[in-house]
Amino acid sequence: MSEYYSPEEAQDVFLKANEAYAREDYAAAQAGYEKLLSHGHGGADVLYNLGTTHLARGDLGRAVLSLEQARKQGGRAPDLEANLAVARARQVDKVVGATAEEEFLPRVTAATEGSVVAWTFLGTWVGALLLLLVWRWLTPGRRTGVGVVAALLFAVAVPSGVLLAAHAWVDETVHEAVVLSPTLVARELPQPSARSIFEVHAGLKVRLLEETGRFVRIRLPNGLEGWAEREGVAEI
Amino acid sequence: MRRTGSSGPVAVLVGLALLASSPAWAAGLEFYQTVNREEVGSEDTFLLTVVTVDAPADAKVKLPSSDDFEVVNSSRSTQRSVSWSGGGPANIQDVTKYVLVMRANRAGKLTIPPSEMTTGGKTHRTESVRIDVKPGRLGPPPAQAGRQRLPDPFSNTPSRLPDPFADEPEDEPTIPRGDSDLFLRSSLDRDEIFVGEQVTLSLYIYSRVDLSSVDAVTMPKLEGFWTEEVESPTQLSGEQKVVDGVPYRAYLLRRRALFPVKSGTLSISPAEADITTGFLFAGHRVHRVSNGLKVKVAPLPPGAPQGMSNANVGQWRLSVDVSQTRVELGQPVTVKVILEGTGNVKNVTPPKLTGPAALKIYDPTTTDKVTPQRNRVQGRRVVEYLVMPQRTGTFTLPGLEFPFFDARTRKYEVASTDPITVTVESAAGGTAPPPSTSAHVADSANEQKNVLTSGGLRPVRYQARFVAPSEPLWKRGFFVPLVLAPLGLLAGAALLGGVRGRLATRTEADKGRQQAKAARKRLAEAEKLRAGADAGAFYTEVEKALHGFLGARLGGPVIGLTREAIGERMTAAGVAQERRARVLYVLEACDLGRYGGGGDAAARQKVMDAAVAAMEGWA
Repeated sequence: MSEYYSPEEAQDVFLKANEAYAREDYAAAQAGYEKLLSHGHGGADVLYNLGTTHLARGDLGRAVLSLEQARKQGGRAPDLEANLAVARARQVDKVVGATAEEEFLPRVTAATEGSVVAWTFLGTWVGALLLLLVWRWLTPGRRTGVGVVAALLFAVAVPSGVLLAAHAWVDETVHEAVVLSPTLVARELPQPSARSIFEVHAGLKVRLLEETGRFVRIRLPNGLEGWAEREGVAEI
Repeated sequence: MRRTGSSGPVAVLVGLALLASSPAWAAGLEFYQTVNREEVGSEDTFLLTVVTVDAPADAKVKLPSSDDFEVVNSSRSTQRSVSWSGGGPANIQDVTKYVLVMRANRAGKLTIPPSEMTTGGKTHRTESVRIDVKPGRLGPPPAQAGRQRLPDPFSNTPSRLPDPFADEPEDEPTIPRGDSDLFLRSSLDRDEIFVGEQVTLSLYIYSRVDLSSVDAVTMPKLEGFWTEEVESPTQLSGEQKVVDGVPYRAYLLRRRALFPVKSGTLSISPAEADITTGFLFAGHRVHRVSNGLKVKVAPLPPGAPQGMSNANVGQWRLSVDVSQTRVELGQPVTVKVILEGTGNVKNVTPPKLTGPAALKIYDPTTTDKVTPQRNRVQGRRVVEYLVMPQRTGTFTLPGLEFPFFDARTRKYEVASTDPITVTVESAAGGTAPPPSTSAHVADSANEQKNVLTSGGLRPVRYQARFVAPSEPLWKRGFFVPLVLAPLGLLAGAALLGGVRGRLATRTEADKGRQQAKAARKRLAEAEKLRAGADAGAFYTEVEKALHGFLGARLGGPVIGLTREAIGERMTAAGVAQERRARVLYVLEACDLGRYGGGGDAAARQKVMDAAVAAMEGWA
């Protein structure tokens, strides 16, 4: 098969992977979905199927990773949430203690679609400014209607711009990841010989705070932090 | 002598007998010194007792002093003894004891120098005492009758504070060198424990000075332990303690329960505290560091039952509380799994409730109640499950088992509960009656059911919308330029308007300047005509030059206006009086010159000068 898939070829690969899944040939199914992703034919559906295949194979870390990526790209869906719940139920780790409240901005951005916000801002912003330009050239008697429409567009553009800034900030600063290694040791310092603080296991969702060398600093939902090997986690 | 009671005659007789017997003060002077141990550790304290018997009142005793020893504490006591022998006079002895609590500064065979007593110009000396000092600590001195231990000065206190160590061995701190008046002491109630067993860490201040406050306490790093706060007093409350014969007040700062999570020899680093002594302005802040500790943690013995965890150590009881055992379909049942006892309450995991598929068991909620008593952590952990019957019938929730290691008996135990039977009936008005043969369906493992649970994996999606990976919209190359473009357009429009406005303004000014320049040029032409024969042409040229100049400076033509009108316009334009007069003079002179014959050269020059003066300096 060539380097690039036509839509028909991609659909064919997808169906074959589904058939492999149905006959419980999970390795073949996984290979099919991953082939689609590597050729630029991804999306929430392919990621969901890949995550479900990983889950069926018992690879909890990659299952959660793919399902979370599917959720990030395509939003929430009942089947996605159900399989994520199954994956969480299989996790070894139980994060106890006062769960740290998720920050306001990540919650806001999770509740809104970034591309919709961006297009809304772009359309209203450009429209409002162009109308303002037209308003300058109009004679005073004909300015009212254009002014009202421009003001309305500004009223939408400003909050959507703030929301877009929040999306951009979260995109730049908040990095969520999933533990892939069956057991990942979190250490006090980014050194292999540093004292181990705790252990996490495949499938746990963590936040990446910083990276140095081959170590990343991870934070658990309850605020527990430590340095873990970079290759043991994968960013969503 | 004080009389007591009403036994007067007897007392008088005794008194007379004493007087008659003429009591004799013992004449023999004794002066000696002894130690309670001949072999001590360099960390141990020992007692040096210096005794004088029947020393004269003016006797001065100089206690031994040596760089090899430090005196931790000293005390002095005096007693008088009266004895009769053989009906003779009473023998009276005055005995004075000086008791020094000492500690060697180095190891080796050391000598305590003699004590000296000076009386009546004569000096008496005791024998020096040799003592063998070994490095480290040899422990307390062997119990000997008589003089080894100082009497506890607080033993007669009517009401003593309750001993917080009643259930544990008394801590025997070592008085640190240099900080003997105030030191910090960490102690454990035991040195050897099992993994998961509680050991209690206590942090005390020992002080012989008044404490004002404890400003900051840094607890040790407790690596390898799960910790629980047991006691953290908010106010300093001291109790009396005698350490190596030295009375101290001991203040509890913190008490924590430690549960080791791994075996081996675990170290506990020293604690630190900033302590203020004294009162008000005489306060003095000092920093103290406590001793470090080690505890040997043994792994749990082999033979652990299935499901045993290292945290399951202590004494535990397991019970199950069910809200109801007979429910209607659709009604939930609350099942509480209760684990209570002594041990690490917050780290034990009660057994998970399981049940038949007909009873859907939701994820539980856990609540803890920790109630430390006598420094032991104990309490209860309740795991509450919501059980929702999925169909009618009689179902059994199996009994639960919780294995644990009882560190007191050093045996594994299993706490267990009985199975629970739940009967689910059809709800009133329900549409799904049970089979007609029986009111309930027995739950049988062999029964073939079409089980439709909500668990399990959801199937894969059969259709896909393929999306190429892409950057967020705001990261694409066109986004920022597109956002900024309208702003640029607006800024460009504003700039264009500004430039046009400024260009218009500049044209007016230039016009004025051009006119003024033309006027000056015309005046230069008039200068050429000044010496000519045609006086009218000269004055006409000067007048035109001045009119042109005035038109440029006053913002409008002035040709045709009367001199009064020109004067008013100059006044309105704020032209100075002198300049106005000069202009009007030139205009009048030009009128006269044109129609009055022209005048001589001097008059022309004067008009020319006046015109130049009127124009110069007019911005």
